[in-house]
Amino acid sequence: MEDIAIVAFAQTKSYRRFPESEPALLMGLVNQVLSETGLERREIDFTIAGSCDYLSGMPFAFISNVDAFGAWPPVYESHVEMDGAWALFEGFVRLQIGDIDTCLVAGSGKSSPGRPREIFPLQGDPYYHAPLGLDPVSMAGLQAQRLLDAGKATERDFAEVVSRSRRDGLANPYAQVAADVSPDELLKAPYYASPLRKHDLPPISDGAAIVLLARGDRARALSRTPVWIRGIDHRIESHHPGLRDLTDLPGLRTSAKKLAIHSAPIDVAELCVRYSPEEVVIRDALGLGRDTRVNPSGGPLCGHPVMATGLTRVVEAARRIASGEARRAIAHAASGAALQQNLLCVLEGGA
Amino acid sequence: MSLPPRQFTLEYPYTRTVGPVVGKFLTGLRDGRLFGIRCRGKVICPPVESDPETGETLAHDFVPVGPGGVVESFTWIAEPTRKHPFQRPFAFALIRLDGADTPIVHAVSADGPEAMAKGLRVRAQYRDERKSAITDVYFVPEAGSRDSFVPTGEGEVQITDHLISLVYEEPLTASRERYAKGLLAGKFIGQKSPVSGKVFVPSSGYDPLERCLMTEQDDVELPTTGTVVGFTVITPVQYYGQKETEPYIRASVLLDGADTPLGQQDIRDIPVGEFRVGLRVRAEFRPPAQRNVDELSNRWAGTGSCIARWVPTGEPDVPLEQLKGGLF
Repeated sequence: MEDIAIVAFAQTKSYRRFPESEPALLMGLVNQVLSETGLERREIDFTIAGSCDYLSGMPFAFISNVDAFGAWPPVYESHVEMDGAWALFEGFVRLQIGDIDTCLVAGSGKSSPGRPREIFPLQGDPYYHAPLGLDPVSMAGLQAQRLLDAGKATERDFAEVVSRSRRDGLANPYAQVAADVSPDELLKAPYYASPLRKHDLPPISDGAAIVLLARGDRARALSRTPVWIRGIDHRIESHHPGLRDLTDLPGLRTSAKKLAIHSAPIDVAELCVRYSPEEVVIRDALGLGRDTRVNPSGGPLCGHPVMATGLTRVVEAARRIASGEARRAIAHAASGAALQQNLLCVLEGGA
Repeated sequence: MSLPPRQFTLEYPYTRTVGPVVGKFLTGLRDGRLFGIRCRGKVICPPVESDPETGETLAHDFVPVGPGGVVESFTWIAEPTRKHPFQRPFAFALIRLDGADTPIVHAVSADGPEAMAKGLRVRAQYRDERKSAITDVYFVPEAGSRDSFVPTGEGEVQITDHLISLVYEEPLTASRERYAKGLLAGKFIGQKSPVSGKVFVPSSGYDPLERCLMTEQDDVELPTTGTVVGFTVITPVQYYGQKETEPYIRASVLLDGADTPLGQQDIRDIPVGEFRVGLRVRAEFRPPAQRNVDELSNRWAGTGSCIARWVPTGEPDVPLEQLKGGLF
């Protein structure tokens, strides 16, 4: 397998409403990673973006996003209607072929113009679920209740995830929502989608993230602190909630095993915890212990730029490795209702 | 003063074939009956086409289930969305119907969260007006359920319709707002890139060639004259949402001094046979009181209802060679 590293990365703040267009949101990030690495745009061999046309309500919105990468010379590019983390997966696979050296990976989304709870039912089963308007919040509520019923978590556990995450968000300059608030205080709030309270949900956000990948020696030449992708894997659970144990993620367990995540200490885990109960399920599936710092950025509960939220986990983990704060980390991305799809990636520092 | 935020509805009417398995279930709902499908000794409801463990295609061995069932888990939805089955608080629940081994996700109408519980018995109720869709049925606590006569329909359900209708609202971006205000004032406002020198009208607020964001200082006013650089004659097909009935021209007009054309310009006053690339035209703005930019959005620039018509200037055509190199 080719050695592939993240040689530069960038992210925007999570905005409640970014006043300019999605390409404008991305453009600054593209320029940032090019300037950091000294690469010319024509030296980017392949570009791949993750975004969702339904979010902004503009058919072919992903085409305008290509403006952000520079319209000239022509871009060799691809797109996934998925979080940018899945674009990272495709970029990683593309680089394995060995004929190109660099790949720009983007994830971007503006949730502010639309109503996410009305849009996202459309990613569900079109016969049995979408017409019911079965949305991610409702599915997260069902998952949370299952966790309580199974005795795998308490409402206090959910509140503790929120309290810790939002407090960590205070130190994250990209965070949209951050607060120093105790679990006791949180538990006084009324239910929104029981047993979830509004604070168990992520904010509605606009934002983007970018990662520049390079292969082998090219990576070493472009960065003094390359962050190596030691493995990446993604799995999908049934889209029928009735055919799943909502309190477990067998697919993610398989990924963790295949990637041998416990073959060495995991200093940091950036997990795609969009709803607080998800942290319980993901931690359990990954078998994370107390020695792993989970979501030092505050995670998606502090900013949820849909389509960039997963890639942002990779950026946050890579940042800590590049800075020397962590040696080895895992980044997790999720898509679909109640963690239906999961992606896992192992990152490591060193030359 | 800022222009009001743009509102926009995106609609797609989906018409889906259902196949023999989903079709059996939806036919059942139409006729007031519920079915599961047998899979290695278990009954899965709602029925699926393949074995969830092995992926093997299942035989069409359907089993009547319900109408009663048990709530395995639920979430109380305090604030329903416009797309939910009820416009008052209700529960989404995992309901294991009598005779089934797996739960179905569906809506339960109950008086309040106190009326819901794990293990609660619920019963299917059918809508008076059924549409061969999953929403034909809903559930209520068994104690408050009623018997209803559902007449059997004709044939098997083969199609299910789902109209997707989404609403969006956002303010105009800064450059788009200045362009819109320019149109209201009878002017074309574009932006000249400080890096490439190219003139974009309308501008998206950036130069995609040089990846540079532009500001108000980069704004330039363009003349009202230009050249037709492309056009198409559209014969309208009567799809959902189509308002046109007669053939019409949509043209791209490159304003003098601009590097990008104004696209999708409506041409009604120049006969199709006389219209051509290279034709010199001038925009005639409507009187100020009749101009509006309501159609303009961040997604769609256009020229709103500000231009009454494009008229030929009478100048000689521009040779095609001179039109090469534009940013079309």
